[in-house]
Amino acid sequence: MTAATTFNEREAEVCYVARLIEDGRTYWVAGGGGPMYAVLLAQRIGYAPNAQYITEDGAIAPEPMLPFDPIQTMVSSRAGYRALQWGTMNVAQDYAALGLIDYGILNTLQVDTHGNINSTFLGEYPDSGRRFGGPGGADSIAAMAWRTILMTDQQRRKFVSRVDFISSPGFLDGTEGAREAAGLPAGTGPWRVVTPAAMYDYTQDRRLRLIAVSVWTTVDDVLKECEHHPVIADQVATLDPPSDEELTIYRTELDVRGQTSDRGSWITWNGEKYEQMEDGA
Amino acid sequence: MTTAANRRTSVNERGVEYLTPDPDAFRAYAREHKQRRLISKLMTERDAIAAFVEDGDYLVYDCNYLQRGPASLIREIIRQRKKDLWVGAKFTYVALALLVQAGCASRADVGYFGSRGPVFSRAAKEGRLQFYEYSNAGMTLRLRAGAQGASFIQNRSLGGTDGFRHSGACVIDDPFTGSPTVVLPALYPDVAIIHVQEADVYGNARVFGTGIAHAETALAAKKVILSTERLVETEEIRANPGLTSIPWLAVDAVVLAPFGAYPGSCQGFYASDAEHTAEVFAAMTKDQLGEYLERWVYSVEDNSQMLERRVGETKLLELRNREVIREGYPS
Repeated sequence: MTAATTFNEREAEVCYVARLIEDGRTYWVAGGGGPMYAVLLAQRIGYAPNAQYITEDGAIAPEPMLPFDPIQTMVSSRAGYRALQWGTMNVAQDYAALGLIDYGILNTLQVDTHGNINSTFLGEYPDSGRRFGGPGGADSIAAMAWRTILMTDQQRRKFVSRVDFISSPGFLDGTEGAREAAGLPAGTGPWRVVTPAAMYDYTQDRRLRLIAVSVWTTVDDVLKECEHHPVIADQVATLDPPSDEELTIYRTELDVRGQTSDRGSWITWNGEKYEQMEDGA
Repeated sequence: MTTAANRRTSVNERGVEYLTPDPDAFRAYAREHKQRRLISKLMTERDAIAAFVEDGDYLVYDCNYLQRGPASLIREIIRQRKKDLWVGAKFTYVALALLVQAGCASRADVGYFGSRGPVFSRAAKEGRLQFYEYSNAGMTLRLRAGAQGASFIQNRSLGGTDGFRHSGACVIDDPFTGSPTVVLPALYPDVAIIHVQEADVYGNARVFGTGIAHAETALAAKKVILSTERLVETEEIRANPGLTSIPWLAVDAVVLAPFGAYPGSCQGFYASDAEHTAEVFAAMTKDQLGEYLERWVYSVEDNSQMLERRVGETKLLELRNREVIREGYPS
């Protein structure tokens, strides 16, 4: 693997998640975008050639024909191409309820210290603030996949102590057994949070913990972009930048239209270190 | 007496209103109204919507305006200016915005809807729109419960969320395991609109590709309108019965609607119109849905006139040609 010298921070985020993909496991991914790309990248580069994914429209282990037209990330012939099965939304939820889905990967608007996810409302529900679309399939994933990986941006307004509205469950109030008491399957829950700048896991007592940062940033800079301070691991690792091999597959076979990288900032190697450019540079 | 007038709602201890699940009322309705005979239900979109969608109905559409959904039937509901619909708003990007802008919808059980633009906040602020919170699969499970003639269904998700607090769900002690479990009220919609690739004139229907909950939706709803890309002979249905996912028993109206999912895609038949998708999203964002509805709904008489005047044969042919994948779809 050769470290890449120029890449977008969102490309790095997908590479980080791709390296977490475990071979021979099943993933329920949000349709299209980073979560799906991460599994496909892991399959194609060989990190996890036999990982499989499903989407909430019942596309079971598809081999999608990319790219997709706008919005056509589910219930479309390209997204469901060469699947092993065509099901429906209830089929997808059944597989997760049965314990057949090892991991879920989600994008989210807002996450809190106990891994709860908000995709419904910023502000005071229902009257004072901004309405968003709701949990969609994320609630099923976060409730029933054995482990949940969240992808989000490293921004203060996204890393909060308590989300404004729990759309999809993390560890709820953080107390032991809170998920089970609410009726959720035992042994499930948040596992990793990945941003372009950092990676987090959860402590034994179910609190968000910073475990790694990107090579171009520092723990202090990451903490500036957290409204609440997470637990910090004794050893905070440095995440390897994307490799040329990863980016080649990602750019030529997956996000061929560059939709991931038309937002977010670019990172370049200046001969001595990696530098983050201003957004849009 | 209209369906909506016969229907009851309940309010739980958290003050959340939901459609009362009443399996015996559904059975009684089915006994009287669901057509057992094999008779043609073919009709125009105008007649179907006029006959079967009433003001105040609980409406479920399967899929959505951009993905193998009953887009032409949604536009006809708007054209006929139906009022006070309660919408099962799961897996939907655009349709709820159109229905709210047009003054057709006043309540929504949310799974997920495209929320861009000011139309929702304005309607909510003016008291014209009330949300209740579920999830996509929470809504399809409610439909599954309806489709199996039950009054509730167990759900291993939704528990502990704020959505739960604003839903009709509750937590009970499972009588068999003793563990706490979430149960959802079954959903028996007053009316369902579903777009399929193939159906016969009686309403035996085939759906190809992945989907949301077409079979459950058709069975759980009191009144069911299908739109179909293509009519097939009943002999063809009998030659491959394993492909039938919706039976004639459930269906009240069959509307022949080639490009009925336009501007959405219809797997195996045509790709979505990406320019139109961008146009309708821009209309949501820029608060121009009124103009959008004027151009695409009110100023044309029906779907075929819209396709002819607003889309054109060249574009339709292009969309057909862009749908290149054949595996698993009818030839």
